[in-house]
Amino acid sequence: MKNWPLVARLLLASWLLVLLILPLAGVALSLAFQSAVNQAFDERLKAMLHVTSSAIRADLDGRLDLSRSLGDARFEQVFSGWYWQVSDAEGPLLSSRSLWDEALSPMPGGETGQVIAGDAMGPREQPVRQVQRRLRLPDYPQPLQVVVAGPTTEVQAEVAGFRRLLLIALASLGGLLLALIAIQVRWGLAPLRRMREDLREVQSGRRESLDADLPADLRALAETMNRVLDRDRRLIERGRNAAGNLAHAIKTPLAVMRTQLANLPDRERERFGHELKRVDEAVRHHLARASAAGSAGFSGQIMIATALAPVLDGLGKMAERRGVKLEVRMDERLRVSLDPHDLQELAGNLLENAVRWANGLVRFTLEAGDGRIRLLVEDDGPGMSEAQRRAAMDRGKLVDSERSQSGLGMSIVRELVDLYAGEMQLGVSAEGGLSVRIELQTGTG
Amino acid sequence: MKILLVEDDLGLAEALGEAMTEAGVLLDHTGSGAEADFLIATEHYDVVVLDLGLPDGDGTAWLSRWREQGINLPVLVLTARGRWSDKAAGFSAGADDYLTKPFETGELLFRLRALLRRAHGHAHPVLRVGDLALDTHTGSLTNSGRPVSLTAQELRLLEYLLHAMPRLVSRLELVEHVYERDQQPDSNVIDVQISRLRRKLGSDLIETVRGRGYRVVDPSASDTV
Repeated sequence: MKNWPLVARLLLASWLLVLLILPLAGVALSLAFQSAVNQAFDERLKAMLHVTSSAIRADLDGRLDLSRSLGDARFEQVFSGWYWQVSDAEGPLLSSRSLWDEALSPMPGGETGQVIAGDAMGPREQPVRQVQRRLRLPDYPQPLQVVVAGPTTEVQAEVAGFRRLLLIALASLGGLLLALIAIQVRWGLAPLRRMREDLREVQSGRRESLDADLPADLRALAETMNRVLDRDRRLIERGRNAAGNLAHAIKTPLAVMRTQLANLPDRERERFGHELKRVDEAVRHHLARASAAGSAGFSGQIMIATALAPVLDGLGKMAERRGVKLEVRMDERLRVSLDPHDLQELAGNLLENAVRWANGLVRFTLEAGDGRIRLLVEDDGPGMSEAQRRAAMDRGKLVDSERSQSGLGMSIVRELVDLYAGEMQLGVSAEGGLSVRIELQTGTG
Repeated sequence: MKILLVEDDLGLAEALGEAMTEAGVLLDHTGSGAEADFLIATEHYDVVVLDLGLPDGDGTAWLSRWREQGINLPVLVLTARGRWSDKAAGFSAGADDYLTKPFETGELLFRLRALLRRAHGHAHPVLRVGDLALDTHTGSLTNSGRPVSLTAQELRLLEYLLHAMPRLVSRLELVEHVYERDQQPDSNVIDVQISRLRRKLGSDLIETVRGRGYRVVDPSASDTV
């Protein structure tokens, strides 16, 4: 639950609230309505009780009679649920026609003149609401019990109708609220989602920083993140520059030493030459490593042809000098998200190596699409044996220490391919030379 | 061959100077782009060797400026920056070749000779006239397969005439390309050296066109005409 997404948390919290509050409100409303309906029914029955009570009179023989009727047809209709009855201690004396041959049983208790109300069982197991009052008539020796009853089914039907309506209303309200909350949460979190997309693009190198066009609270966050990104970039840049400066500072004295090797006796020339070569290889290797951007670096969309033009131009001259034909096959309009320097380094090293070993032909094929870029470099040179190819793919080894330049170029290529988590395959070209196939993930859509 | 070395590191410039002189190449050196700019405008070089990290501006900037001015002199860029993106920038600026430090002196000479040969429009690395062959890769000269012994100055003179072949080369052009700035020869010094070459290689190899200059002619070709 600790790791639940924000959307789920917000939705769950508000939905729980809605699902708890609405039923509670429904129950409260329904109870209040029921009590109000009951009270109104009781009042009606009491009014009838008063009318009945005041209409009772006793004649000279001590016989009771009603001076006027209640005037409600339901008291005349047999077992209608509406009844009245006047009784004394011995039993019923007068009753409505609706009671027929049955009798109501007065509830116990109640002082004279006091009205009491309660639920009771009427004729034929009919549940009724009953109000009663004990009274004394001046012309009658015993106290009388006057009872008026009405059917509770009527009240229950009214309450049930109200509950049905309430349920429909509350359910619709609940549904509407749930939907509105979902929309509100989505809308409220939209800037966060946008920020996440931005961050993903920064990560994949498609953009340099987060868009700060956000709500005020998030803008501060985005700006802070941008500052962190910027600082990281500057740190990396500084590290790269430092590595580059160090390497360049070492290279010129190395060149002087290399030039002066010629003045040494043969044995020492060989020994120093070997050591100088090792220093040079180490410097080149680590410089190339430090300066590669890799897939984490920012790179907007680049035109492949534009990025490679100077490299192909330079290599064209080199190939021409060696009498090698350089065939280039690529779509001039291709665009990819890749650090242009990394692309130049890849193509440059591969082609330089191929031109160096080719007898007369180097073929360079480049394709891109589906977020990948594929490079194929083939030559008609001596190629490599199976064992040499395996050794070349062995990480941490130079391809051939005798051919340090090209070996170093290949190890730089391998490092770059690793940085981009790409694939590299060595094989035999159609002309019997070496073919190098490289596939990298890029930012293209 | 006469080259201009633009390199601000004195140690490297000195070491290269020695190695080039030993190989018979004439070399002027400057440590600044501005002086190189001046020298290129006033002197005649066959190739410029240009370091990119100069105290008065990036080498590629100077190179682009020269190319914009229409100077087509072959330029070999010599630099510590070995990344392909740097090389690419060099080639974009108009470099003809690129050599990263540290390098073998032999490799530098090889590339300089190749640049010179291409600048004169020769496709084949061996220049032949009759039995005479100059291997532009190694700088070695043979006559009927036997090595020929020439002084450095004689070799430079012959190399220049062979590269220029079959074009006529004026005395002034020879003075500018074959002799050092501060050792410009008297007019008859060239005549003396030409006669020595004729003595060593055959009298009909170099033709004198009176009042205009010299040119190498193929003796076997003239026989057949």
